[in-house]
Amino acid sequence: MLTILRLTIKEVVRRKILHVTILLSLLFLALFGIGVRFAYTNLTRNLDPLRFLIVQQFFVLGLFFGSFLVSFLTVMTAVGAISAEIESGTILAILPHPIRRSDVILGKFFGYALLLAIFSLLYYTALSALVTVLTGLPLPYRLFPVLLFTLQPLILLSVTIYGTTLLPTLANGIAVFMLYAVGWLGGMIEQVGYLLKNGTLIHLGILSSLIMPADALYRKIIATVQSGAARSLTGNFLGPFGVQAEPSVWMLLYTGLYILCFVLAAVGRFNRRDI
Amino acid sequence: MLLETQRLTKMYGSAVGCAEVSLALEPGQIFGFLGPNGAGKSTFIKMLVGLLKPTSGTATVLGQPLGNSQARRKVGFLPENFRYQAWLSGQELLSFHADLSGLSRSEKSERIPRLLEEVGLADKARARVGSYSKGMQQRLGLACALLPDPDLIFLDEPSSALDPLGRREVRQLMLNLRDRGKTVFLNSHLLGEVEMICDRVAIVNRGHIVRQGRMADLLTRETEIELSLEKMSDELLADLTRLCPSPRRQGPHLILSVPNRAMIPRVVQTIAAHGAELYSLRPLHVSLEELFVDLLEKGDRQDAGEGGERKC
Repeated sequence: MLTILRLTIKEVVRRKILHVTILLSLLFLALFGIGVRFAYTNLTRNLDPLRFLIVQQFFVLGLFFGSFLVSFLTVMTAVGAISAEIESGTILAILPHPIRRSDVILGKFFGYALLLAIFSLLYYTALSALVTVLTGLPLPYRLFPVLLFTLQPLILLSVTIYGTTLLPTLANGIAVFMLYAVGWLGGMIEQVGYLLKNGTLIHLGILSSLIMPADALYRKIIATVQSGAARSLTGNFLGPFGVQAEPSVWMLLYTGLYILCFVLAAVGRFNRRDI
Repeated sequence: MLLETQRLTKMYGSAVGCAEVSLALEPGQIFGFLGPNGAGKSTFIKMLVGLLKPTSGTATVLGQPLGNSQARRKVGFLPENFRYQAWLSGQELLSFHADLSGLSRSEKSERIPRLLEEVGLADKARARVGSYSKGMQQRLGLACALLPDPDLIFLDEPSSALDPLGRREVRQLMLNLRDRGKTVFLNSHLLGEVEMICDRVAIVNRGHIVRQGRMADLLTRETEIELSLEKMSDELLADLTRLCPSPRRQGPHLILSVPNRAMIPRVVQTIAAHGAELYSLRPLHVSLEELFVDLLEKGDRQDAGEGGERKC
């Protein structure tokens, strides 16, 4: 498994996926920083007592876009983890070696997971530092939301890895993005449901979170990253982009099981697959 | 037996990949597995190296059932339609495959430079595989297959991308392996190459083995001999006809169809017993290509007669 893990990391580095991602992330952060600087100056001119709460909204917005960035990166890097190797024929020379097929799946999963976790951690830290430096107000660096943000890509990664054992590369990419969109849209609908106090919309949102819990985890992150007052402001200020009701700890447990099930399903599916 | 299969079959839905293939290989030989495109050659190899799961039948590789990891440590494989990670160097690729094979650090440092030298890529070891020509990638593939110092090496069309010089080198490499007691399972449709180096062959068509055996036996069986005779009597001709039906004259020569090699000494004894003078005896070998085409055409005629495709 370690051999495949090392190769996976080497591939991401050698094929310049990491370079491009880091470069574009820096550009994104620079743009975001300029926006924060000007918006902060304008917004706090008349709302000075709310400065600290406004800063947290900027941070949440940064996390929102960061979640998108990490999700796209996850799908784009892992979409052909197995299917592209079957299509190109590289897998033909790997599987006859005395290795288990599960080692190939787990090696790739943990290789991508490690890189994505490091990227997410760096993004979170850079965003936190950027907002602090530009506003002059220190943001609390809580371990729990950091951990959740770092592990967030594992949800989409597990689905993508399962999909790559089942579908051709392009079909897998489309399927995972659509699934992600379902989760994201469902999350929005749920927030709107809370704003309008509409039970049907709330249940629809919860159902979509069970199908794809990525958005629910994002809501959990922004709920835990803020102080109580800021959380309340986020609900009003960001509307469906904020969080009206914090996902429970059961949702986190469900998400953990969700990831585990998809990884195991990927192993089972790849074990049975003819190459 | 180094490799043994019993009625090994692979079906793709209702289509036949490989049907009831039974064969056995002893160590220290080059075994040719021949067939036209789509005959099921690669399907058969893929089952033996664990890429495909057989639908039915059994097989042992190095005395172990299919998929046994101990056996896989001593098996090398060069796939047909393969591609390697273009972003690795040749040396890195071999190092990766050595790790997959479970080689120790010292084995790696000894074998990788030696194999790169053997396949003529020592000076390109640090170049990216993506910059290699198809022929160079084929050589690199051979080096990968030989990394674990395998007892059994499956080579699926190893010469297909090589120029004539490269093909000769690969043939020599296979002969060297056999001399070292290794067994080579060669999948090829280059009949000349197979005829030159293989000890045994199996010919496969539409998933079925249509003929197998020692190369020498296959090429002389049901073949003809050309005799240059003086003082031939009618009695001798009658006796020879009893041994080999339908003799025919071709210029000054007599052509006999012998059912097997063992018949040739009996023909000579009969000639001597009648007091005729034998000046020359030349076996008229059938070439592998003739045998191959004949078997395939025979199969086509049978299928046409049966009015449908054979099923497993």
